Amino acid sequence: MNELIPLMVIVPLIAALLISTISRFNTVTKVFTFVVALCLPLIPILSNYGLHYFGGYEPMLDTVSGVIYHPAITYSFTFLQQIFIGAVGLLTFLVVFIYLTKYKKVSGPYLFLLFLGTAAVTAMMLTDDIFHMFVFFEILALAQVGIVAASSIDYSYEMALKYMVLGSIGSPIMLLGIGFLLALTGSVNVTDIAVAVHNGLVDVTSPVFLLSLALIFFGWLYASGLPPFHTIKSGIYSKAEPHGAALLQSFTVISMISIVMIMFRIYASLPIFEVLIVFFSILAMILGVSLALTQTDFRRMIGFLAVGELGFIGLGIGLGTNFSITAGLFQALNEIIITALLFIGFGAIVNATNEVDTRKLGGLLAYHPKVAIMLLIAGLAMAGVPPLSGFQSKLMLVQASLSCGFPEISILAIMVSIATFVVFVKTYYTMFLKPKPNDLNLEGKEVPKAMIFAMAVLLIIVVLLGIFPDMATGGISNFVGGIL
Amino acid sequence: MLEIILSIIIVLSAILALIQKDLLKAAILTGFSAAALAALFQVLLAPDVALTQAIVGAAIVPVFIALAVKKTQRSDG
Amino acid sequence: MIMVQIVILMTSAALIVIGLYSAIFIDNIIKKIIGISFIEEGVNLFIVTLGYKAGGVVPILMPGMDPAWFAANAAAPLPFGLVLTSIVIGASTLAVMLALVMVLYRRYHTLSTKVMLADTSKREEYDE
Repeated sequence: MNELIPLMVIVPLIAALLISTISRFNTVTKVFTFVVALCLPLIPILSNYGLHYFGGYEPMLDTVSGVIYHPAITYSFTFLQQIFIGAVGLLTFLVVFIYLTKYKKVSGPYLFLLFLGTAAVTAMMLTDDIFHMFVFFEILALAQVGIVAASSIDYSYEMALKYMVLGSIGSPIMLLGIGFLLALTGSVNVTDIAVAVHNGLVDVTSPVFLLSLALIFFGWLYASGLPPFHTIKSGIYSKAEPHGAALLQSFTVISMISIVMIMFRIYASLPIFEVLIVFFSILAMILGVSLALTQTDFRRMIGFLAVGELGFIGLGIGLGTNFSITAGLFQALNEIIITALLFIGFGAIVNATNEVDTRKLGGLLAYHPKVAIMLLIAGLAMAGVPPLSGFQSKLMLVQASLSCGFPEISILAIMVSIATFVVFVKTYYTMFLKPKPNDLNLEGKEVPKAMIFAMAVLLIIVVLLGIFPDMATGGISNFVGGIL
Repeated sequence: MLEIILSIIIVLSAILALIQKDLLKAAILTGFSAAALAALFQVLLAPDVALTQAIVGAAIVPVFIALAVKKTQRSDG
Repeated sequence: MIMVQIVILMTSAALIVIGLYSAIFIDNIIKKIIGISFIEEGVNLFIVTLGYKAGGVVPILMPGMDPAWFAANAAAPLPFGLVLTSIVIGASTLAVMLALVMVLYRRYHTLSTKVMLADTSKREEYDE
């Protein structure tokens, strides 16, 4: 059933447009949204692996040079795409479910933005065309800005405008890099560019090629919120509604890995490329954790921790061996799920207390024991405690850096994990275990059942991936073997 | 020769737009720059791009900016 | 005829530099946004130049043209297609930014970014 591959993008896009048109009819919109959201994780599971050529233009063999060209925009769907699109689809379903049960009157434009973002990251993950990826990168930026601006939190418009201004400086710069690549190779298809680079048709030491790397790398830093963009990225997480933030961080992780995999296929022969990625990843790990330690707003704290975790993904990809890239991608999958769980859990606390300052909270364990236990497990998974999924991926990362001959990096990774654990336990203690302050009123406020349900579903995945990591790593390792 | 004149118009009106005190004049000068750019696209053998740039850059964008200026304030500073 | 390309590449570089300067250093938010649109125009101009062929023809196959002659002389159409998309994306981004500015003006009554944007993090520090 290869016909399902373009539907993964088309279904959320069409649904987004239809929902904003019919949003006057509340019940119809709710039912329609629920059905579409349920379809999103199912389509990638049902679809077969394969390639889809838009317009049906098959690759052509140039008889003179013996090189195959791809005239059409190509979507390639393998195990890696399946697992990540499935994860984002599931997360979109849970977030939409929380939203639909929370409000009696749903907002069409907000649902439009959620589905638009999902469609954009799905296309970025599937596409094999660097300009197509850029278009959806811009659409994703617009959707993210909309999700932030739609929240009712103070200063959300300021944060959205700041993110938008930075983004519209960053994305033309990335487009300029794509233009340089187009000038060098005459193609925007990643496979064609990679073949041209590996066959020596492009001088890899020429300044134009290096400049294109620098420009696209800048766009990647902006998309993934690595330093120097870590402050704005954690800012937009803290200004979005908690369920929106859970989806925003998954958008960030997926755009990060889809751009970096494209860059890896083109620039892997340059040694400086891997050094750059490892450098910025280590910077993100250290800055993320140390800034998280100083925060008193717990949403901001999770935002910085999420940026720190992104560093682990980059580290795995930057080391450049099959095992380390597998570890990095597996860490990306775990981070999507664990961070979403944390955002939804802390969002439940905001819902029940209307308070985001950890110093004014306390004693919540007695009032919300289910949320407390699930958050504790998620936090332990993020810090890398066995037998949860974060442990498996971080163990793989440490082993990979040891086998590459960088024991310093593995020591650093373990130290950052311990620091993550300290930050989380400190916040957890002040919120749940410390005696309740006298002026905090907790009576009669319940956590929505939909949030508990969403957390439970994500928690099951965390535990399953922790006990059976081979479910994901085997397929990812095959995919990575195909790239190298 | 034509492309040199058009280039000078583009760069000059861009700089002038950014040093205007009156934001409405800045919006109009942005339209000037974009219209000259559209003509330059025509010189560069891209008539379809020139058409889009003439509509979007020289008409829609200045109108958007002018509307924003009308809803906010006209002078810079 | 290499002259044309050099003039145009210099124009696009000038537009990008002017745009970056104003996006980073000018305080007024509307001028910042105008500067951002100049960056986009500069990049578009650069990509269109990639497709240009000195002494070539417009890449539309008219009836009566010899296909082989056309293939040798027409400008490359792929960059033009990319730029079409890019122009529309730039306009929509600009519209969203201006809408956000209009909302924020109602709260701050100024267009200065020093007041409008940099203030939020400081205000959070004061709250602590």
